[in-house]
Amino acid sequence: MNILEISEVTKNFGGLTALNDVDMHIAKGEILALIGPNGAGKSTMFDCVAGVYPPSSGTIRFKGKSIAGLKPWDLCRLGLARTFQIVKPFAARTVLYNVMVGAFLRTSSTDKARDKALSVLETLRLDHRKDMLAGTLTIADRKRLEIAKALATEPELLLLDEVMAGLRPTEMDDMIAIIRQLRGNGITVFIIEHIMRAVMALSDRVVVIHFGEKIAEGAPEDVTRDENVIKAYLGSDYATS
Amino acid sequence: MNTLLQAVVDGIMMGAIYGLTALGLTLIFGVMKVVNFAHGSLLMVGMFAAYWFIKLTGIHPYLALVVVPPVLFFFGYFMQDIVIKPVFKAEREVREPLTVIIVTTGVWYVLDNLALMLFGAEYRTVRTAITGISFSLDSIIVSLPKLSGFVVSVGTAVGLWCFMRKTRIGRALQATSLDRETANLMGVNQYRIYNIAFGIGTAVAGVAGCVIIPFYYVYPSVGVVFDIRAFIIVVLGGLGSIRGAMLGGIVIGLVESVFSQFMTSTWTEAIIYAIFLTILFVKPSGLLGNKLDW
Amino acid sequence: MSRKQLDMTLLALAGLISFGLPLLIESPTYLQILILLFFYAYLTTSWNLVGGFAGVLPLGHAVFVGIGAYTSTILALQFNLSPWFGMLVGGMVAALVGVAIGKPTFRMRGAYFALCTIAFSEGVRVMIENIDSLGPIKFNGPRGLLIPLKGESFWNYQFMHKEPYYYIILTMLVLVLALTWFISRSKMGYYLAAGGDEPDAAQALGVDVAKYKLIALGLSSFLTALAGTFYAQLMLYFYPKGILGLDLSFEIAFIALIGGRGMIAGPLIGALVLRPLNEFTRIYLSNQLPGLHLVIFGLILILVMLFQPKGLTLPLTRLYDRLASKITTTGA
Repeated sequence: MNILEISEVTKNFGGLTALNDVDMHIAKGEILALIGPNGAGKSTMFDCVAGVYPPSSGTIRFKGKSIAGLKPWDLCRLGLARTFQIVKPFAARTVLYNVMVGAFLRTSSTDKARDKALSVLETLRLDHRKDMLAGTLTIADRKRLEIAKALATEPELLLLDEVMAGLRPTEMDDMIAIIRQLRGNGITVFIIEHIMRAVMALSDRVVVIHFGEKIAEGAPEDVTRDENVIKAYLGSDYATS
Repeated sequence: MNTLLQAVVDGIMMGAIYGLTALGLTLIFGVMKVVNFAHGSLLMVGMFAAYWFIKLTGIHPYLALVVVPPVLFFFGYFMQDIVIKPVFKAEREVREPLTVIIVTTGVWYVLDNLALMLFGAEYRTVRTAITGISFSLDSIIVSLPKLSGFVVSVGTAVGLWCFMRKTRIGRALQATSLDRETANLMGVNQYRIYNIAFGIGTAVAGVAGCVIIPFYYVYPSVGVVFDIRAFIIVVLGGLGSIRGAMLGGIVIGLVESVFSQFMTSTWTEAIIYAIFLTILFVKPSGLLGNKLDW
Repeated sequence: MSRKQLDMTLLALAGLISFGLPLLIESPTYLQILILLFFYAYLTTSWNLVGGFAGVLPLGHAVFVGIGAYTSTILALQFNLSPWFGMLVGGMVAALVGVAIGKPTFRMRGAYFALCTIAFSEGVRVMIENIDSLGPIKFNGPRGLLIPLKGESFWNYQFMHKEPYYYIILTMLVLVLALTWFISRSKMGYYLAAGGDEPDAAQALGVDVAKYKLIALGLSSFLTALAGTFYAQLMLYFYPKGILGLDLSFEIAFIALIGGRGMIAGPLIGALVLRPLNEFTRIYLSNQLPGLHLVIFGLILILVMLFQPKGLTLPLTRLYDRLASKITTTGA
């Protein structure tokens, strides 16, 4: 069963076409990576899926139901959570506070929200930072916090926007392990990623977009051999990372 | 019919002057995204500067236009540099520096009451070379100080508009208003730009002071009268828009003078608020505002 | 002594002192100053629900004080209803008005919201100043309303001495502080704070930011209006410029900012600092140098914003923490 179905989605900003007639889907339990050069329309796709703005045309279905007219908070309630490429912690509050905001989606009890948040922090190995102010965390910890907040809302589908960017190789390995563990817990993962090593290690399937159009789709090994893809994007990037 | 025409002429002249009082406010908001609550007080400072300058030297009010605005420029420049900049720096991480609004409110209290301590509460007027002079066109009476105020206001708005587009500094101001971080990266010093924006905004308040003083009185809290009106004008025209401020000013001027033909002036004031609230519900970005600037 | 015991002891002591103060203070003038101090602390705590926790800057809260005062007084004068009943009606009217202005304005930048609240409250003031009477209902325009003396009676909310007023406002203050304490620890408090800090991130976590801000504003307006009725019954006279004016709106915001926006104790600490300062500078300085007390007021505001932009509560809490840790370690 497909948890997310995107059909013929187009998004225009004024005269600029950020997405042009894109089709894609994610099966339940899958890890799908969306890749493409800067400005290809990846984050626009996330914003459309997460309800930040509606697509100009086309439909997006989450768990079989159209998301037209739903706002980000409605979608989150339905089980779709996302992280932001530029992380947005509640900087002046503690790590625990941050995660509790997410946990409150499924409970009104402060005690239950705290327990939930603590267990999520444990899963992400962030529990030793729980009393630190979010604004004082390192990049790697901020990225984890971003995931922890989303995870606390108990999503079925998790959208991760460049969670590897800025991480050192060992930190990246930790992050890969964490994402695998999430999938092991039954969460479907949709990632935008630039770092090919992570994409190759994680994804079951890859979709490549370029100038707002889908140019390739398939298993990671196949996609990286696709000539269009190499021409459009991978060439230098893939060689260096 | 004639009285109505007279009211329209008066309204447009006075409206342009209202627009002038709002120009500095809209400029500072456009660049810094801060509502300067001390704006009315700066206007008061401008009016007192013009008042004393004309009173002590007996000079023609148009000459004050050459002297007062530059003085006010430096006043605004250093006020931003010394008082407001530190708060900005401390609140760098904050999306919207509401604390800065509060600091400008503190400045308002200090300036207004310093003026009260120095000059007392009385209303002062000064007879200038153009005070009380008017001439008639057909059956319409035109007051010379208001007409020249109208001309100076429109001239200042046009000049400011050109300045923002044609000069290097103007373009740097605009770049900062669009995106501070990028402008910073491009080598624009954000805080110096803020100083300049504040300086220009204050200088424009100085121009307004010179324009108003020949036909209006000055007293320490005179700024409040114009302040609230300027807030309404900028929201009406669109915060940050120079043309919007002039348009908003003229709308308010017209409403005030035309409606006062039919009702008491306190009711016209109520109508101005009603118009403001209607605009707010129907088109919150104002008549000429930028949607992104809400 | 453990830290918790120390906290509790001090809290109990503060409770005891505030309860016993009227027994010690003979002068009605000083008692009145205290009553007004609590009145402002109460108003600012109500303001804090939306201005502090929800991270917006309302600068027209006097409009709700005015709605409270006018509603209960008009109901009492025209229909002979008890001001206690009018107080509740006024609160509900204020809540409706608050939601009505919040709905369009919360979509906008914070600066817009601040300006709109000012314009709205000034608009209401100008309207009321223009209305002498509306049908049989008297407003008396700019002259305001006078509540005739009916003699000591709880039902009429009138007392010959200041003490009952003192205990009423003290109770109101304690209740509203308890309410904010409760909210700040609940889902609503977390959601308000998140929405105020980073609206996009909060929405992505399932928070309907605008809805929670509206609830906060509605609640804040309701609570603010209750104090309006209290003020009317305390003074037995009020007029638009005083009870609906910008000075009152700004003073509430100043107390909050100097005390500490979004902190439970902020309004109380702000009021404890600013109110006595305000009263005494006005009494002792305004005769020699009119305006000096407001210059001092403005300077304090600027200095606090420059050096403690989060308000005075934070450094005071740190100081208390340090003292408390000394006491609890040496005293054990």
